[in-house]
Amino acid sequence: MTEPGEITVLLRDWSAGNPAATEHLFELVYPQLRKIAGALFRGERPENMLQPTSVVNELFLKLITQRSLRFEDREHFYSLSARLMRRVLVDHARSEGRQKRDGGVPIPLHPDLAWIDARPAEMIDLDRILEELEQLDPRKCRMVELRFFLGFTAEETAELLNSSKATVDRELRFVRGWLYDRLHST
Amino acid sequence: MKLDTDNWQLLQDLFHLAEVTPEPDRERVLAQKCADEELCHRALRILNASYVQGAEETPVQESVLASDLTGKIGPYTLIRHLGTGGIGTVYLVERMVGGALQRSALKVLAPHSAGPSFIDRFHREQHILASLDHPNITRMLDAGLTERGQPYLVMEYVDGVHLDAYCDARKLGITERLQLFLRVCDAVAYAHRNLVVHLDLKPSNILVTADGTVKLLDFGTSKLIQADSLLTTTVMATPAYASPEQLRNEPITTSCDIYSLGAILFESLAGARPASKASVAAMIERAIREQEPERLQDAVTGAAAEQRALSESRLKQMLTGDLATIAQKCLRPRPKDRYPSIDALSGDIQRYLGGRPVLARPQTTLYRLGKFVRRNRGVLAATLLVAIALLASLGYAAWRQQQALREGQRALRMQNFMYRLFKLANSNYTGKPAATVPEFLELGVKTLPEYIKDPADLRAAQISLAESMYTNGDLESAQKVFTQTMANAKAAGDVEGETESKAYAGCIAFKLGQIEQGKSLTADALRLSRMPGVSPAVQVRSAICYAYYRDSLWHFTGEDLALLRFAAQMARESNLPPHEKAEAIYYLATDLEVRTQVNEAEPLYYEALRIYSEDPLVLCEESAVYGDLAYLSDVRGEAQESLPIYQRSLDGYKACSGADSRDAISVSAFMSGALIELGRAKEAVPLLEGALPAWRRAQGSGQSIEELPMYLSQAYVEVGRFKEAEAICEQMTASEEGKFDPNSRHVGAMNLVWARALAGQHRYKEALPHAEIAARILTDTAVPAEIPYNNKAREVLLEIQSKLRETGQ
Repeated sequence: MTEPGEITVLLRDWSAGNPAATEHLFELVYPQLRKIAGALFRGERPENMLQPTSVVNELFLKLITQRSLRFEDREHFYSLSARLMRRVLVDHARSEGRQKRDGGVPIPLHPDLAWIDARPAEMIDLDRILEELEQLDPRKCRMVELRFFLGFTAEETAELLNSSKATVDRELRFVRGWLYDRLHST
Repeated sequence: MKLDTDNWQLLQDLFHLAEVTPEPDRERVLAQKCADEELCHRALRILNASYVQGAEETPVQESVLASDLTGKIGPYTLIRHLGTGGIGTVYLVERMVGGALQRSALKVLAPHSAGPSFIDRFHREQHILASLDHPNITRMLDAGLTERGQPYLVMEYVDGVHLDAYCDARKLGITERLQLFLRVCDAVAYAHRNLVVHLDLKPSNILVTADGTVKLLDFGTSKLIQADSLLTTTVMATPAYASPEQLRNEPITTSCDIYSLGAILFESLAGARPASKASVAAMIERAIREQEPERLQDAVTGAAAEQRALSESRLKQMLTGDLATIAQKCLRPRPKDRYPSIDALSGDIQRYLGGRPVLARPQTTLYRLGKFVRRNRGVLAATLLVAIALLASLGYAAWRQQQALREGQRALRMQNFMYRLFKLANSNYTGKPAATVPEFLELGVKTLPEYIKDPADLRAAQISLAESMYTNGDLESAQKVFTQTMANAKAAGDVEGETESKAYAGCIAFKLGQIEQGKSLTADALRLSRMPGVSPAVQVRSAICYAYYRDSLWHFTGEDLALLRFAAQMARESNLPPHEKAEAIYYLATDLEVRTQVNEAEPLYYEALRIYSEDPLVLCEESAVYGDLAYLSDVRGEAQESLPIYQRSLDGYKACSGADSRDAISVSAFMSGALIELGRAKEAVPLLEGALPAWRRAQGSGQSIEELPMYLSQAYVEVGRFKEAEAICEQMTASEEGKFDPNSRHVGAMNLVWARALAGQHRYKEALPHAEIAARILTDTAVPAEIPYNNKAREVLLEIQSKLRETGQ
């Protein structure tokens, strides 16, 4: 079982850039998120699909009530969850892609990224380009994850990244264009 | 890609530069900034790509819907798709029942929302759901599993639009929205009594049909899918309307529905949901942190105001105060702080609609202070403002209190007392919280000595509270306190306090019909008020209590009029608060009016109105002036013009003292008089009958309003309901035994109606003596304002006499 406060400690290490903490944290949190996210993909109709935000919220609640997480660490938590959610979605795309050649179930993405045909093949491409973005500009990658994978509003994304809405809007305009360009030029 | 790694910042700069440059100049401007042509082109490509929007609907969704629409689900044939919500998709379906096609709504639930025991549970719960038989609740008809194993529910089909769309399309105002909301409350309260909670109340679950009938959808759904759903309540409810405990995944109670009703009310009034700009994650955080909801008026937008056919500032104003308190009480984060039941919520809304004080308790002492001040205006306001002595210019006794509380120390003690008082009023100090103004004041008098030790301060505070009781109409309580302060002041040699207490006690005695006591007390007060050192305010009060109430007995003397002129003039010249100045002028004007010196009275009324307008808390007083102005225009023969002025007075009274108040009853009576004169007795009857129950209750209080039965009997005569008119005349004579001078105009007018009621039943012989009395009195006591009566009395007498001759009786 998770020791109370362990996640909190690890989150702080993670945000300070400690790679060992990252691995450990992923091991701790990812299975829980994955389990909750299972419901996300059980819906056969797109309109019945759960939103990623609800999944992360459930996890957040669980961790808070288990006292594994403290409120003060919410920013780190959401950043981490956004990253993990991206991984959940990509893992799902990979398994769907293997099972169904006809495209499988679409991935729930924010409407602003709807130009990506959110089916497994493109999802895996998007993930590869995001890896590239991570190398170029980790902060922008965080922003994309929070806004487009978790569905936070621009204001909330700005708050989580300690920035202003205007700045987030401005950077996201660029990054959307850049993603599109990269996805369609390779 | 090497290009981006090396030029990442430059690429962004070029992109943002291109964004703000007009399209034709872009290439040129970018080239100036950067020599690398390829990089410039790339920035422009990214800019174009950033405009790419997502497709409206993915093809996958369409194909799913299309295939379903051609099919059947169980015995039901799909007709069309009605909508898609959080936990399912709804279709219009039909099936053959007993040879007839029956239409219903079928909701296919998300597969993860219910487990395999769903159908068993439906059958187990069916008797409860079937017992939910209420005109505003749609009935649950059937349940089953689709071929793919998805659970579905079948409900009564309602052809209507969502509550919010209905209200906005018709630009319904606040009152109409509240009335619709009350019907929603009724339905939910009914379900709660049958032990069914809804847990997903929201505007899209409330339909309104073309004829305005409210229908609640999805009752019982929560009960069916709760038990073995993979989801928690967090995900099942619609977060914007879900209670914090639902979002926190805690045990659910009927209080969840009260919260959701609060969110619906909030949106229906202000046009936006509480915390409408927050994402779901932020809402859950709010729930966990137990954050208070935003204020109702802060959510108002211009568009919302327009949909309510109001200006933005007017809507904000309407949503400040009681409505904000009601919404807030529903939306408190902890269930125990909300309304205990839906009936309590409905009760407060009905009280708001009826212009009465709501019971929801605002959160802070200061808020409550403000509320009392607003609600009780005038004199009460002044008492409370003692607590915040700096705002003394607002009210009546504040001026005097300023003198009594010159030292900061005393003011502080007083302030401390007021704060304690509000706290006590909110607690169970006396067994239950003080819900009404009289209770509150009573508590103040009881607890004052514990907080204020200085006898002079104590007396001043007690007089203040008693004045509030007096203004609030609680005459007996005020009388008790004044009797006590009168004696205490006298023993302490405090002439000012003694005079003021005596003047008020005298006024009260008159009002309670204790005429001799009133005469002696006011005579004492008037004498004392002429002693040196008595303040102008108390001199004015003493003169009014002496003269005005003597004149009210219909014995007009020159001395009384002179005293009232003196009081008005002194009020004008002294530094009295506007409210008190206007009051003195108003008393002079009414006295002149009853002396039929109408031409002098009318400008005084306008002067009083002008002075009242300097004071924000005088709705009742203004309503009184409007009532008099309407009456003046009525007796001048301008009955038609008087109606809107009466209406203004009546609306004002209803808002400030309540529809059941003595003032509202009186104005209803006089307004009915004008309607009768205009030959519109048909409209007067319901107005008078409406006020009758309240009038009956007021009868016991010793303050009778003889105008109401007077006009009612007259209206009955006009519409031919003679028997009822006769019954009222008999009752009046019995109950007014000895109260009126047998030669007074009141007795004359009543006999006139009586004669007509009997003549209407062809009982001319019985009618004759009444007609004779009426003609004699009304001719003898003729004053210009009453001339129509005199003529009528003669007409009636002549008619009865000729009928008697015709029939040879």
